[in-house]
Amino acid sequence: MDEKEIALDIIRKTVTENPIVLYMKGTPQFPQCGFSGRAAQVLKAAGVNKYVAVNVLEDPVSWNYLKFYADFPTFPQLYINGELIGGSDIMLAMFEQGELQPLIEKATATA
Amino acid sequence: MKVTPDNVRDFILQGLPCEHIQVEGDGRHFDAVIVSKDFEGKGMLQQHKLVYQVLGDKMEKIHALSMKTMTPAQWANIQ
Repeated sequence: MDEKEIALDIIRKTVTENPIVLYMKGTPQFPQCGFSGRAAQVLKAAGVNKYVAVNVLEDPVSWNYLKFYADFPTFPQLYINGELIGGSDIMLAMFEQGELQPLIEKATATA
Repeated sequence: MKVTPDNVRDFILQGLPCEHIQVEGDGRHFDAVIVSKDFEGKGMLQQHKLVYQVLGDKMEKIHALSMKTMTPAQWANIQ
């Protein structure tokens, strides 16, 4: 396996073994980018108190290879049960339309 | 070279026929409203992916792009 395959394998494990994963710049407490901060705020507003946050600034695997995993080139990225939901625009729009909460409830109920 | 909102608009228009497009930004963060027939039948994630696909390598120069994507029918509804 080359470096890219190994990286994609690590990402696959992370997003499938954890019900909710947010790849972001910085941490939920100290986001390093407005969009990442907004993504963390949306999860908080949706009542998610437990999720895996990966700081891409400190994780070369996701920094270099996450864009290839689901063909989505920007951070943040939210995964629920292994599936890419989207970036902060999509998260906010889905939250406002009440579409995000049921996905989260389903994911955390089966965990 | 700094990317302008007009550059971003042109980059998108080169690969995606748009009924309406509006891009604002400061050279690092851009806000776009994009209305295209090609979005029909697609979810929001697929619509955003389509725009990223069209932008390709140019995303490296665009630090952050916030998007509102709509079909012509959705756009007509909010006018």
